[in-house]
Amino acid sequence: MTDQPQTAISAGPEAEPTVTTTTVPMWLIVGTLVLLFLSAWYFDLHGAWFHAKVYPPYTSWANVNEFQPGDGGPDPNKGRPLYESNCALCHNSDGSGKPGQAPPLAGSEWVVTTGVNRLIRIPQVGLTGPIKVKGQDYNNLPSMAGMGATYTDEQLADVLNYIRNSWGNKAPFVTPEQVKKVRTDLGGRSQPYTPDELMKLPE
Amino acid sequence: MTATTSTSRIDASCRLPLFTLFGGAATWLVLSSVFSLVASLKFHAPAMFADQAWLSYGRAYPAWSHLLVYGFCVPAGLGVCLWLLARLGQVELARPLLITFFAKLWHLGVLVGLIAILAGQTTGYEWFELPRYAAVILFIAFVMITVWAFVTYSQRTVEALYPSQWFILAALFWFPWIFSTATLLLQFFPVRGVVQAAVNWWYVGNLLNVWLTLVGLASAFYLLPKLTGRPLHSYYLALFAFLTVILFGTWTGIPNHAALPAWMPALSSAASLLSLIPALAVATIVILTGRGTPVSRNGGPLCFTKLGAWALVLATVLLALSTSPGVARVTDYTWFTHGQTSLRIYGFFGMTMLGAIYHILPHVVGTNRIAAGRMRINFWLFMVGTVIFALPLMAGGIAQGLKLANPDVAFLDAAKAAMMGFRLSTLGELLLLAANLVFLFNIVSAIVSYYRVLCRSAYEEATEQLEPVGVKP
Amino acid sequence: MRSSAIVFLAAFIALSASWAGFVLAPQLQLGRAPLEKSLGTETLYPVARPGLAAQGAEVYTALGCVYCHSQQVGQDGVRCDIVLSEPGTNVLATLAALRSVDENLGKPETLANLPKVIKTVATVAAADAIVKPLRETGAKAGVKIVPTGSDISRGWGRRRTVAQDYAYDLPVQLGTRRAGPDLADVGARQPDIEWHLRHLYDPKSEVKDSTMPPYRFLFEERPAGKSDPADVLALPAGAAPAGKEIVKTDAARALAAYLVSLRTTDVPLQEAPFTPPPAPPAAPATNSAAQ
Repeated sequence: MTDQPQTAISAGPEAEPTVTTTTVPMWLIVGTLVLLFLSAWYFDLHGAWFHAKVYPPYTSWANVNEFQPGDGGPDPNKGRPLYESNCALCHNSDGSGKPGQAPPLAGSEWVVTTGVNRLIRIPQVGLTGPIKVKGQDYNNLPSMAGMGATYTDEQLADVLNYIRNSWGNKAPFVTPEQVKKVRTDLGGRSQPYTPDELMKLPE
Repeated sequence: MTATTSTSRIDASCRLPLFTLFGGAATWLVLSSVFSLVASLKFHAPAMFADQAWLSYGRAYPAWSHLLVYGFCVPAGLGVCLWLLARLGQVELARPLLITFFAKLWHLGVLVGLIAILAGQTTGYEWFELPRYAAVILFIAFVMITVWAFVTYSQRTVEALYPSQWFILAALFWFPWIFSTATLLLQFFPVRGVVQAAVNWWYVGNLLNVWLTLVGLASAFYLLPKLTGRPLHSYYLALFAFLTVILFGTWTGIPNHAALPAWMPALSSAASLLSLIPALAVATIVILTGRGTPVSRNGGPLCFTKLGAWALVLATVLLALSTSPGVARVTDYTWFTHGQTSLRIYGFFGMTMLGAIYHILPHVVGTNRIAAGRMRINFWLFMVGTVIFALPLMAGGIAQGLKLANPDVAFLDAAKAAMMGFRLSTLGELLLLAANLVFLFNIVSAIVSYYRVLCRSAYEEATEQLEPVGVKP
Repeated sequence: MRSSAIVFLAAFIALSASWAGFVLAPQLQLGRAPLEKSLGTETLYPVARPGLAAQGAEVYTALGCVYCHSQQVGQDGVRCDIVLSEPGTNVLATLAALRSVDENLGKPETLANLPKVIKTVATVAAADAIVKPLRETGAKAGVKIVPTGSDISRGWGRRRTVAQDYAYDLPVQLGTRRAGPDLADVGARQPDIEWHLRHLYDPKSEVKDSTMPPYRFLFEERPAGKSDPADVLALPAGAAPAGKEIVKTDAARALAAYLVSLRTTDVPLQEAPFTPPPAPPAAPATNSAAQ
């Protein structure tokens, strides 16, 4: 397009200005797209997607929560007294269990798990019948009794956290909410599980 | 294009409103320079005026910004908008006497606001210090002037819109909205805590980065082709600049360090980056419209306008730079932002308005032209003043920011790092004061010359009738 | 753009979008949010200022202090310090646990001069991984979350400031320039009201090289010996004009009370966490307010 006057309002020295109809240059459109992309990228990086409680230098709500105090979450040692008074009788203070009878907890594949749906059920209602742990058979006699009626969700979570994070064990923390959910799922069941029964449940 | 009103009648219809708007604007501009000097002196001799509350820094500084924006920028911009609407629509200004009245009301509101600020009745919000009773006066005055501006626009005899008209319409629509939002949510029904800061920054961003830009560009896009005798390049580029200014500029204003959730400063920084787009479009328009015309150095309206447009480009680049996170860490909280805002207000808006007023006023006055020599003095004083005011502040701000960011440097050492630049900027303020005095003199003498001609012709008319009596045979 | 309707439509869309984004959205997000408890406590935060300090806030606004003093603390990052406070009874096991963290830590020197920071890591998770085995040995160890940044290093605050800190401020005085130091936390670093009054009367008397103008109009000169000694500003000999004494006005007293009440970063919040010191530290009555 060439410079063509679009409108000529009047002639003479007092003529009002006119405009050409040249289009917007391509480089400007490309530059606009580049800047739009850059600013979108920038916002994605720093904007925390409109979260009301994320301020720089934090980049997301998850990032903020990585720095919450309170000793960095539950203390694994909190459940220790409960363990010593209830569990250590059979499983030992060092979690090694009794050969042939009570399975060990240290390094047990039943304890160090990602999902806790099966694990939480064991202290809730107990466990009966032979069980295989770390390739060894245990007769599980006398059968483990359920303690769900005696202890609160928090106490059960504490003791599970102690078991899951002691003697070389390392596993994510169990929350009282998870215990509560299992308690609801059990629906008042008090009969102990067998290992086979547990294995049929989702992890 | 049927019943084209004669240009001289259009200009005559604008006369009284423009005298009031421009005369008042020039007066407030001089006063604002005085207060800016008073504020600056506090850094040279802190103990000066220590017994006068109304001359303390915390009152002289807001008095400066209040007078600059509400005293100078808005009335000058309104005057230019009114004249452009009348000229581009080829129609006489509707109800000039009413507009004059409300222009006077506006100036009264500015005066009330100034007294309130000096008396300590400030609202405490930057660029919005005037208390609500002054704000209400300003709002009524602006809306009433806008009403008659729209009436003028709707009576236009030229249907086709010239780009400047888009900018003016948007500006007239913009100000009442942002001003009423700020007044209502900060003064009548104040919102809680930092939401006030968000509203305040949104208002300032829209005022300085959108409203001033719209009005300044309306004037530049009219005068550049008019004074070079070439058509504006081009319709679509101007449309592009218009849309990107209002789309992106309106999100700017929230500083990076704000105690607001991360998304707000991040969005604002992104918008500042995107403001480069209209700046590039404006640069292209200025270059291509003026291509082939000789560079004028006569200090006339074209010089003002061209330089103003380039100052907008520079100020926008600096805005985009200074809101990017790495740079903001240094420039935030320093004199840099003051320098950059001043560059926008004086360098861009002041320049384009002065150019427009120097172009318009002779038409409105009639036969008289403002002496080119005095205009040139104004141009050079204003240009050099702006440069010496803004650039050292920015340089000093960077020096200050680099030291502020390093906690091993004592705070006072960081504050003093800016002092060299600050002292230079005071020199710039002095030059600006001189420039503004020349401007005021030029405006007043043009207005006075109009009335003198009026009086003389009236006198001659009267004496003509008397002559037969006076002549003795 | 041949029709004015389109111009208005474009302007309306652009402006209403930013209005919704920067006026309406903050109001919905922050303006009506209920106050929350500070971390680890049952108290709602913040509390409204007491009467005199509230009047002082008005003086602060009227004097335009905001043009030189910001009230917001910035933060660049956050780090986690591992603090060992007691070695426990089984020192050998503690040393073994320390050695598994870092060979250099597993030395008896580590257990001297406790409590102290034995290691700094980037995240709480990483710190927990170190603290846990230490605790199992019976040692007392904890994680200290420490915000970092130049403002914090200057002692201007313990953490960044966030929206909740300003819930009762009207007008909010965040400020955008630091010709003088940030004041968000000035009451914590300089809690002496008399210091603030002397500093207002003559900044150079308290901070040599201060660039702050004196605010003498906040004080009255009266003939010596006529006023209540509690109202008289205690100045070094010779600072007041001969035969006169400097009397604090109500405005000066209110302003100083307000400045002392500015302790914005005392408590941790969920969005700005840090580990507060066990007991409030004894405030230094030095010239540190200007630093």
